[in-house]
Amino acid sequence: MNPTPATSTSAAFLATLRRDFLIAYKRKHDVVNPFMFFVIVVSLFPVGISPDPVKLAEIAAGVIWIAVLLASMLSMDSLYRADFEDGSLEQLLLSPHPLYFMVLAKNISHWLVSGLPVVLISPILAYMLNLPAAAYFTLLLSLLIGTPILSLLGSIAVALTVGLGSRGLILAVITLPMSVPVLIFGTLAVQASVNTMSPAGYLALMLAMLAAAISLGPLASAAALRISVD
Amino acid sequence: MWLWFAKLGSPKWFYELSSKWLPWLVGAMAILLSVGVIWGLLFLPPDYQQGYSSRILIVHVAVAGTSLAFFPLMAVAGTITLVWRMKLADMVAKNAAPLGAWFSFITLATGSIWGSVSWGTWWEWTDSRLVSMLFQFFLLLGVISLRSALEDSDKAAKACALLSIVGCINVVIIKYSVEWWNTLHQPSSPVSLSPDSPNGPEFWIATGIMILAVYLFLAVSLILATRNEILVRERQAQWVQDLVRQE
Repeated sequence: MNPTPATSTSAAFLATLRRDFLIAYKRKHDVVNPFMFFVIVVSLFPVGISPDPVKLAEIAAGVIWIAVLLASMLSMDSLYRADFEDGSLEQLLLSPHPLYFMVLAKNISHWLVSGLPVVLISPILAYMLNLPAAAYFTLLLSLLIGTPILSLLGSIAVALTVGLGSRGLILAVITLPMSVPVLIFGTLAVQASVNTMSPAGYLALMLAMLAAAISLGPLASAAALRISVD
Repeated sequence: MWLWFAKLGSPKWFYELSSKWLPWLVGAMAILLSVGVIWGLLFLPPDYQQGYSSRILIVHVAVAGTSLAFFPLMAVAGTITLVWRMKLADMVAKNAAPLGAWFSFITLATGSIWGSVSWGTWWEWTDSRLVSMLFQFFLLLGVISLRSALEDSDKAAKACALLSIVGCINVVIIKYSVEWWNTLHQPSSPVSLSPDSPNGPEFWIATGIMILAVYLFLAVSLILATRNEILVRERQAQWVQDLVRQE
């Protein structure tokens, strides 16, 4: 039998959000590192492939999307780890509120802190990679829709492996193949804009995936957390 | 119905029942596999366009079709593990993952060999089925590595069950999103047993035999691996020790 909660679920949701923002503010390296990683990886491509602006324009969308994918995956590691180590994750599982909303709150705050900055800097990097100007807005939109999906997917894998000591690579092996649809539609949308076609169809499909990810992702993450922490 | 279901979860019951099934399954598999392989690879008339290389398809189509069964199989087994805590389901799921990875790998390998002759290329990114098979292969490797990373076998069972369910949904999404690319892979030819169809009825009969044979091979390997797993996990149980003493 569940004890009657002293607070409403929405209050607990907001409290979780607030707490995670505070922690992110105090542990800035968790926020800054994925961001720096993204900028550095993107700037390696012109050095590694070719400084030729025409060639760069061709690969710009894919390079930015893959760098976002990797940055998002690496940043996910911090989502539950500290909470798992200090025991507050267990408290979250024991709380009388639906775990779905608590996980969603953690996902939202994590995305706002580590996903959004990457999205916002991306037009500048797109400019450096000589992406045609017509596609900037689509790139921004597709990343705005796509990165939350990546976070919600990554959250499942992190929740499954939260008890493991070293898990950087296993996280990659699990998450990266699952991110393929997002990558496909993200780059297709940007390519459509480059070719002066409407990206609306691809973006709508990504929105559909986001809706599915928001409704199912936290459920799977919650189940995974219950498996990992017992 | 429920009694039967509960009985099926008992490793001992499965072990005894599968002992009775195995000779029949192995026999049927041996007959079908040798008929399919010998007839399909040595005597089937060459295709009017592809020549002898079409014989590779007999193996390729059968293995590819079977390899699609693994994620649904693991998802169903995973659901049973999570809902009813049935040990047997997890033993099946544990052995299905590496088998599925092998089947996917063989699909990719035979497809590449056939493609090198018929398409003139070993690998083609614009083809949706190649790419989605590749990612199915990667997802299966993910399940295997999660299993090996988690030491607690109960935790590993549940975690892999959940990942299999998520992966099963994901495979479908990947398949459809990859299909947005222009595809080179020929759509399945219409099945026809009439003698004037371009491939001739022999081709379809041989493929059908091979598909049955490969499914039986899958069943036999999975049952053998599961029996092995049962003996390992139940080694403390009285009936396993009795069994060992008998031999």
